[in-house]
Amino acid sequence: MWGRVVEIMTAVWLAASPFVFQVQGSDSFVLIDSLVALLIVILSGLSYWHPTRHAHLLILVVATGLTLWGRFAELPPPPIHQNHIVVGLFLLMIAIIPNAASRPPLAWRSSAGSH
Amino acid sequence: MSHATLPVDDLDRNVPPYPHNPSAWSQRIPICILAFVAAAISAHLSLYQWGLIETAWDPFFGSGTAEVLKSKTATQMYAIIGIHDAALGVLAYLGDAILGFAGSTRRWQYRPWLVILFGIDVIPLGIVSVVLVLIQAAIIGSWCFLCLVTAAISLILVYWAWDEVRASLMYLWIVWKQNHDWRLLWDAFWGNRCEAIDHAAETLLSRETA
Repeated sequence: MWGRVVEIMTAVWLAASPFVFQVQGSDSFVLIDSLVALLIVILSGLSYWHPTRHAHLLILVVATGLTLWGRFAELPPPPIHQNHIVVGLFLLMIAIIPNAASRPPLAWRSSAGSH
Repeated sequence: MSHATLPVDDLDRNVPPYPHNPSAWSQRIPICILAFVAAAISAHLSLYQWGLIETAWDPFFGSGTAEVLKSKTATQMYAIIGIHDAALGVLAYLGDAILGFAGSTRRWQYRPWLVILFGIDVIPLGIVSVVLVLIQAAIIGSWCFLCLVTAAISLILVYWAWDEVRASLMYLWIVWKQNHDWRLLWDAFWGNRCEAIDHAAETLLSRETA
């Protein structure tokens, strides 16, 4: 589940970003970044539960939105939006990593001939 | 369905024509480490492009690195992408490392989609980045030492990644050749399992080693 752990760590960075990039005076940045970070944590967390194990794939949608917001909200993108682009692209890579990625998929963990 | 796991030697079988398993950790960990090194170098270059450090390290070309990183071409790319090209390089190399690290030691068969995605990140993008570095040098007329180092790393990564990508493509090719069934090929690509897919993998594994 290291992919999910990295997603949660990235969400923490995203929530802290308005303070790192010194735009904490803007309520919208603090609110949106916090909500997006919370959404990422929820989706990653749900991936630990078997019935919702594919929830992390929804982060692809969130990451695409974050990247597009960062790229087009202001031209040229200020540092906070460049951070959104970088975080969004990074999450696109991480979100596709399967749970228990270092082990074979479930279908292949069964013994040969028993399927 | 039984959930007894396959013996570890089944996970670590050599894939002909190679005398080794291209998905083995011993094959993939060096790729991940080298990709992390390239990501760290790119991070240094992007810190300079962002203006967070005053100089970029270059023992050979002096101000050449600054001329390349602050050139009109780099500025134009920044205007298009929204982030500096070196930062994009950091993401690309991190992608190599992440996609290289994910998957079991038989992922060439169990998760071909992951190996092919890894191949797309390493091979075409790696070659494009090398060509861009060379073109940049030709257009700007300056050389950037660390850019050349990352370009060299890209080429090494292409060479190291190729065997695993080839194994996955050969496996998918055998699935197609034996069945001529798009649905089965699709299942094999996503790592689903059935007897015909098992048979294709065994066909590949029983070939002669070069």
